[in-house]
Amino acid sequence: MIKPWIFGCVAALALTACGKQGEPTATTDTAAEKAGDKTLATGLGDNAKLAAAVKAAGLEATLAGPGPYTLLAPGDAAFSNLPAGTLDTLMKPESRAELTALLTHHILPGTVLAADIGKAIDAGKGKAMIATIGGGTLTATREGDKIVLADAKGTKAVVVTADQNRSNGVLHQVDSVLMPTE
Amino acid sequence: MCKWILAAGAAALAIATPALAQKEGKGGGGKPDKAADGNQSGVGKQADPKHDGGHAAHAKGADKSRGDKDSRLASRSNGNDHAKIKANDGSDRKRDDNDNRFDKKDRDDFDGRRDARDDDDRRFGRFGDCPPGLAKKDNDCMPPGQLKKVGSVLPAAFASRTLQGALGQWFRDDDRFTYRNDGDYVFRVNRTDGLINALFPMLDRNFSYYPVGMNYPSAFDQYNVPSQFQSFYPDGGNFDYRYGDGAIYQVNPSTNAIQSIVALLAGDLGVGQQLPSSYSAYNVPLAYRDRYYDTPDATYRYNDGYIYRADPKTQLITAVIDAII
Repeated sequence: MIKPWIFGCVAALALTACGKQGEPTATTDTAAEKAGDKTLATGLGDNAKLAAAVKAAGLEATLAGPGPYTLLAPGDAAFSNLPAGTLDTLMKPESRAELTALLTHHILPGTVLAADIGKAIDAGKGKAMIATIGGGTLTATREGDKIVLADAKGTKAVVVTADQNRSNGVLHQVDSVLMPTE
Repeated sequence: MCKWILAAGAAALAIATPALAQKEGKGGGGKPDKAADGNQSGVGKQADPKHDGGHAAHAKGADKSRGDKDSRLASRSNGNDHAKIKANDGSDRKRDDNDNRFDKKDRDDFDGRRDARDDDDRRFGRFGDCPPGLAKKDNDCMPPGQLKKVGSVLPAAFASRTLQGALGQWFRDDDRFTYRNDGDYVFRVNRTDGLINALFPMLDRNFSYYPVGMNYPSAFDQYNVPSQFQSFYPDGGNFDYRYGDGAIYQVNPSTNAIQSIVALLAGDLGVGQQLPSSYSAYNVPLAYRDRYYDTPDATYRYNDGYIYRADPKTQLITAVIDAII
């Protein structure tokens, strides 16, 4: 007799591999094995709006994959601080390209710890440029003992909780949403 | 690409998200620099021959010795007058339209159907609902000038146009295929008959992703996952995997609908290039930091599955020293 849970897993395969307790996983077994157990995708529990945005953009598998990436994770309050209606608009299917662009402005190639950014700031005499995976650049500075990242428009995101290590990268909690611009 | 993004969403975002809505102008920042011979570095994983979509030999034949890689430095020229090392001037992630592009005549001769629209209109998609890189001409969004290219002989004008930088690392010549480009598209060419076997857009680095739900362009529907990711994302299962403009997509093989973005690639580093100023922060994955840490003699940076070594004084990327995925 086929177990009921098998049906659930088969359904889940429509989008992703069958993961633990509904957690997002990489799309293939080999990618999931390489990514490890506690990935960036599974570590977004306290970032509900970011998690929803990642899912809407179809980026869950990326954050559950081998990586490694550095994720700048705006908290729910950061999304709430966007102009009224912004997130709702971005979450619409027709806005997926913009949503993907916004999210990839918060992903850095490789594992960049706060100390690494700090050293780069020091080496750069108070400022460091940081590449995002999407092709943009952030400007890193220090404000007191905090690392601050700014987008091209000057919006600043303070790293409020740094260096949350994941099996496929590292996550920094930030307090603002950064916008991708040329 | 941002033009296409604007076309798709400006109406919805103009009020709600001014910052996004203001994006305009020519997209495609940070195409791989063109000075180095991208085929010079051979670190990589072998493809799973069961799932390579005809790529097993491609990936297999690409592996080369590390010593070989290390000995091949930036100064190699491919004879391309347009090739140059981009200045590390802070604009390193902007697309340089003059990089690695053919003279207009070369491209006109090849296309034979160039119209008044400029390349960027077509490349960044101002036309209807076609995805980035394509234009709609009642041809299933096939790229203009590309319809007859697959299956045709690679013109001699492109014979020396090897892939450079990151793309040269990802798509390496092997016993079956060589890779060439025309500045906009990569051509995979059969060695035996010189016919173009597949084509797909070159790296376009300006948030230019195909959104989930869109159909992956049929014009590029060949297995084209970069070599370092082939073992993770093979065809042959429930889904296909396709590369395009900085990402690997999971595609429904029946409908061609993009289900998910499974990997993002930066494409920023390549042997022979200057280390971009935006890579001033050390980013080597934790598991490799005991082996590859910055010293006065060597700088190490990670990108797209590879760890690169650069000269701290010149900032020249001199080698791929490890493939870690």
